[in-house]
Amino acid sequence: MLAFIVRRIITTIPVMAFVALFVFSLLYIAPGDPAAVIAGDQASPADVEKIRLSLGLDRPYLVRFAEWSFRVLQGDLGTSIFTSLPVTQLIAQRIEPTLSLMVLTLIFAVTIAVPMGVIAAWKAGTWIDRSAMAFAVLGFSVPVFVVGYLLAYVFALKLDWLPVQGYTPLSEGFWPWLRNLILPAVTLGLVYIALIARITRATMLEVLQQDYVRTAQAKGVGQREVLFLHALKNAAVPIVTIIGIGIALLIGGAVVTESVFAIPGLGRLTVDAILRRDYPVIQGVVLMFSLVYVLVNLVIDLTYTLVDPRIRY
Amino acid sequence: MDRRTFLKSATGAGVLAASSGLAMPALSQGAAAKTLRFVPQANLANFDPIWGTQYVVRNAAALVWDTLYGIDSKFQPQRQMVEGEEVSSDGLTWTFKLRSGLKFHDGTPVLAKDVVQSLKRWQARDPMGLMIKAIENELVAVDDRSWKWSLKQPYPKMLLALAKNNAPCSFIMPERIAKTDPFTQITEYVGSGPMKFARAEWVPGAKAVFEKFADYVPRSEKADWLAGGKNMLLDRIEWVIMPDPATASAALQNGEVDWWETPLSDLVPVLKANKNLNVDIGDPLGNIGAFRMNHLFPPFDNVKVRRAVLTALNQEDYMRSIVGDDDKLWKALPSFFTPGTPLYTEEGGDILKQRNVAAAKKLLAESGYKGEPVVCVVAQDMSATKAMGDVTAELLKSIGMNVDFVATDWGTVGSRRASKSPPGQGGWSMFHTWHAGADCINPSSYTAIRANADKAWFGWPNVPAVETEVTNWFNAKDVAEEKAAMARLNKAAMEEVVYAPTGFYLGYQAWRKNVTGVTSGPLPFFWGVSKA
Repeated sequence: MLAFIVRRIITTIPVMAFVALFVFSLLYIAPGDPAAVIAGDQASPADVEKIRLSLGLDRPYLVRFAEWSFRVLQGDLGTSIFTSLPVTQLIAQRIEPTLSLMVLTLIFAVTIAVPMGVIAAWKAGTWIDRSAMAFAVLGFSVPVFVVGYLLAYVFALKLDWLPVQGYTPLSEGFWPWLRNLILPAVTLGLVYIALIARITRATMLEVLQQDYVRTAQAKGVGQREVLFLHALKNAAVPIVTIIGIGIALLIGGAVVTESVFAIPGLGRLTVDAILRRDYPVIQGVVLMFSLVYVLVNLVIDLTYTLVDPRIRY
Repeated sequence: MDRRTFLKSATGAGVLAASSGLAMPALSQGAAAKTLRFVPQANLANFDPIWGTQYVVRNAAALVWDTLYGIDSKFQPQRQMVEGEEVSSDGLTWTFKLRSGLKFHDGTPVLAKDVVQSLKRWQARDPMGLMIKAIENELVAVDDRSWKWSLKQPYPKMLLALAKNNAPCSFIMPERIAKTDPFTQITEYVGSGPMKFARAEWVPGAKAVFEKFADYVPRSEKADWLAGGKNMLLDRIEWVIMPDPATASAALQNGEVDWWETPLSDLVPVLKANKNLNVDIGDPLGNIGAFRMNHLFPPFDNVKVRRAVLTALNQEDYMRSIVGDDDKLWKALPSFFTPGTPLYTEEGGDILKQRNVAAAKKLLAESGYKGEPVVCVVAQDMSATKAMGDVTAELLKSIGMNVDFVATDWGTVGSRRASKSPPGQGGWSMFHTWHAGADCINPSSYTAIRANADKAWFGWPNVPAVETEVTNWFNAKDVAEEKAAMARLNKAAMEEVVYAPTGFYLGYQAWRKNVTGVTSGPLPFFWGVSKA
């Protein structure tokens, strides 16, 4: 097991190197000029050029890539062109809101989606199954921002139960923290619920046809026990896989959700950086997300061994 | 107790009891009333008003850094940090004296050497500053409170240069900070303005906080834009960055923010219908919509083609595409200058008063236009440029021009417009933008009107008559001479079509009714604003 973990961690190195090269190259060839944005609309072309020179944006691709790579290897993601703040500091400022949103969404989605999928499979073909699947289709079909606006309109503007926007750090109290995240987590969670519920249902339908399930039922084991202890445990591998894949979906969804609810997270940091062509920030954030995604996959692979003892590395 | 109140209290009490964070925000009612939450027009991504000249940076900087002079609502420069000034009879030597008791936020006194170094940094980036530098003999501190500026020739617009609100303003910083290269960003934000910048709380893209500077010494005169006493009635101002207008609208209605600088016109009816909100014109100087044509390459290197486009242009189409049906928000503009300002002129503007497609087609035929594609670069992520771009595409087609519509984002437009390559090889034929009306009241900071070829703004028009009149305006000895120069300038710029003005439009601002003292101006003024 330890050898597997070490091997997997080592394989992340070429993956990260490829991501770094790809992102850097993509930004290099992408149109846009941070110097023009910094200088402002009234700046003369000469001023824009001087700012470009001062930022070192005139230097050759290979020189810039080599310098950046060297710094990244030392754990330095560079400095934001616009704020003059270290990229690591900007990421650190923004990581708590995004992490909070993702964790809460994950808890909310898994808590609802797994039982929903199990029950839908159990009651396959009934109105319960159809309602659950209709909900799943709706969750997939309605864009995140529409759900966000709708929830904000009802629960913030009309009912005045929750705030429209913003984020309160956990250090300022659990309820203020949670209060700001309920609507965003529900908004982001709907797509995720739909995804997990559908996979859970499909896997459970397959497992419920197995002989050992029939045997358990014949032995008089209770329905709840059959569903959640016998069937669900054996259906867990694909469900865990989809939860892991869904984390990428969450990262993408967080960008929109953070904009709609004005949450100062990594999603907004990324969008702002892209619009302004703040290259070091874009590179740093993408690299970090890639690392997170690789590590999440590793954790999922390890989780397989917990839910299915036949899997060993 | 009604159902809503019950649900709110029950839910709140339940969760509160279960939570570890029983302590609610520590702001007392009084403290909350002294804290204003403001949604600015854009993200405060950097905070060096000389290095970056975006309006949002200028607006924030006006809280933190003070200026020697301040412009008032009559566009007159008034003393601000300065106690007095003397100019020699030949107009070549200016001597200024600071007010006593001025302090920076770090507690050190504001000295003449700070002023001198700040002016040197500002000069390198400002068009008027560069003009002064070109005729400068020396700029030196005489003593702790006085400094001298000696020139090779008179510069009648000296006080305007030091008072103007166009970016970059001549903000005064401590000498050690002002020594930073003007093309490198400062990293220390110490000013002598009425508010201090709470750097520790700055989250670029999300929040910027300003706290009252207890040692600020306001002038005794009534505040009037950037002039007069900047009396702060608030202890703390929080800038909350909200990129999504719908969210900002909901937050304002819900009382989560107090003042929104630039509501989207689509959302204004909703805000006006809310009894807790005030909605009024934000900046009375508004904006001038524009598209620029590339004077270096066909087809717009030919003045007849440029005039053909202007002849076919209907400003109402453009303005309605930006502001919708609200007639209070726009005006036709047969001029390059801001309407309602003292020097406004429509001289030579007849071409924009009546759309004439037939005449435009005739002019285009006379020009010898051979169907060259017009590479029309349009930023889709800015509502104004997108709207204007769509109208322009139809306009060009209507007179028989071949349009190559390039839909892109503002960041790309920003870099592509600097390219002098031919339109088909990475260059461009036209792009859309807008100019703040405050920048267009006279030629002093009006980069877009300049027509000095390679030194001109993007499009690089070369119209010596325009440049002559700009010089005449700078040298004008009185208002009559200024007006005459402006009229000739407008006529020359219109004849050669330096650029195409698409109309004048305004925008609203909105604030909650418990906030008082909000005024209209070219930037949001926080002095005199209070919150109940």
